[in-house]
Amino acid sequence: MKKYGRGLATIMFGFGYGEGFPDHSIASIEIKEDERIVIRTAAADVGQGVITTVIQIAAEILRIKPDYFEVIQGDTHTTKNSGSTSATRQTYFTGNAVKKAAENLLANIYHYGSLEFRSNHPEINVEDGKIYMYDDPDNYITYWDLARTLDQNGKKLEAEGSFFPVTYKPDQEGQADKVYVAYTFLSQVIEVEVDTDTGMIDLLNVYTAIDLGKAINPKNVEGQIEGGTVQGLGMGMMEEQVIQDGITLNPDMSDYLVPTSVDIPKFKHYLVEDEDSEGPFGAKGVGEPTLIAAAPALANAVYDAVGIRFFELPLSPSRVKKALQEKAAEDE
Amino acid sequence: MKKSPMKLESSQTISGVDFENYFQPGSLKEALEIKAEYGRDITIAAGTTDLFVAYYERLHTIKNWLDLSKIDELKYIKFSEKNVKIGAMTTHLALKESEELKGKFPVLQAAAADVGSPQIRSRGTIGGNIATSSPSGDLLTPLLSYQARFKLETAGKSRWAAAEEFFTGPKQNIMGPKEILTEIEVPLPKNDSSGYWIKIGRRKALVISTLNFSLVLEFNKEKISRAGLAMGSAAPTPVRLKKIEEMLVGKSLDELDHRKLGEEVKKQIAPIDDVRGTKEYREDVAFETMINALEDIESRRG
Repeated sequence: MKKYGRGLATIMFGFGYGEGFPDHSIASIEIKEDERIVIRTAAADVGQGVITTVIQIAAEILRIKPDYFEVIQGDTHTTKNSGSTSATRQTYFTGNAVKKAAENLLANIYHYGSLEFRSNHPEINVEDGKIYMYDDPDNYITYWDLARTLDQNGKKLEAEGSFFPVTYKPDQEGQADKVYVAYTFLSQVIEVEVDTDTGMIDLLNVYTAIDLGKAINPKNVEGQIEGGTVQGLGMGMMEEQVIQDGITLNPDMSDYLVPTSVDIPKFKHYLVEDEDSEGPFGAKGVGEPTLIAAAPALANAVYDAVGIRFFELPLSPSRVKKALQEKAAEDE
Repeated sequence: MKKSPMKLESSQTISGVDFENYFQPGSLKEALEIKAEYGRDITIAAGTTDLFVAYYERLHTIKNWLDLSKIDELKYIKFSEKNVKIGAMTTHLALKESEELKGKFPVLQAAAADVGSPQIRSRGTIGGNIATSSPSGDLLTPLLSYQARFKLETAGKSRWAAAEEFFTGPKQNIMGPKEILTEIEVPLPKNDSSGYWIKIGRRKALVISTLNFSLVLEFNKEKISRAGLAMGSAAPTPVRLKKIEEMLVGKSLDELDHRKLGEEVKKQIAPIDDVRGTKEYREDVAFETMINALEDIESRRG
């Protein structure tokens, strides 16, 4: 028999290294004479999309289409420290570093641009990669023109930015003004059907609401939510290293299971953009928070369906069926 | 004939070590000759979906290979009045897609559709599934239910083996050192029939069965005239549960005590604990599955 159930879990996640550990990122941006804008950062894109994110941030500040950008990442010869791609920190830390670098570069565009027009910056406008006087918009120079002019004088049109917020070490009681730089909040409702004959759980729907400050790239955020949730559900239903006498009995992907594309549920997302005061455009980290609620929401849904509380993962068919049998025996 | 003309000339290294001999004959005759020469010292590749997993990173330890994938004369599904003959190198995909199998052997076709993933179904073969003789092989239970028999050939000779006499232990069977499995013959149900198939696994695809179950019932005026019941991952080999079949024959569906038959199934199987499920789980699910199968067939015949 199939039994329907629905479960909710809510989490908060402090991101960045936190707890007083020094945490920072440095980035630089250069406008080249050959019509490219190069961002240098050591932030590693491991598929989560930090490259797209920093390009969008820089393009927004520099008032130009993202098409011109390229990112040099993780090259110790040309990039400075960005910290690790971990702790859900790159959008916040490197996003801020790139934003600051872009702001400094925009200031340089105004500065050197005003010299070209022999004017001062309130009379100058910068838009779509062009610099011109408000009263004569047709008479413009491009960013590339400006870069070439500077190059002839041995200068570069570039700037660097860093983000290095104060973090606080907790006291003996674990208290501090701010243990982490910011917190992401997420609530997730999962709907399941439990087959009481086989103990198998069918995942139906997942509804996710996440307060991420600001979605720099909403599609990317959805990808993070789906990926993180599926990984969390894998932990909740399948992933289990079986060890006997010190030997792992399932050392391969044919018996150490993770969900396949046909196992995953349907998703619906609600992005709550309650802007953070310090994040780039108010953005906060979304990586790890997307994984955490899945297993507890699943366990609550299974409880709703069959009235059994589980305190051990994964909820494998064998474990669920055993509990169902025990409950049936008790109820008799 | 130490140096066979079929040997490939490639010097490509695999797993860092050259294969000693890799044969890829284009005809069954050539394959049987090679098998006759090497016997147990040559490993047959009939899709490799099990072999490559079992020997992952140890492929170089297989000295001699006999790859049957280029033998087109072993790829067919042929119907006659009495039976269907399936070539051993017919893929799971071909079985799944066959229009002819659809009405006549629904359980076999459903099992083929549940094997692994699209990639595995398009490489893996019915002959490979049988010869690997895994207790969990998904096609094996339907073949037992339908009372299939297998043709085992050597150069110059051939013999037939009934499916229920073929499997002797986990990944063990009665095949001799010089034999190649070439054909599967399944008799057509004599009367109108209904079947039930289910694969129990820990996820919906790409999974080794924790349990698989196939039941085929033939009817003669509402009485069960023949029953074929088999289960996989429930014993050291895929098993046909003859004692229960006998309890079904001669009865009509509404005369059956589903729970009692479920209990009987539980007694007849001999599963083990492993990473895919516990003994207890397999017994409990076998019980439920027997009941569900009978209910499902009853509701469909209404």
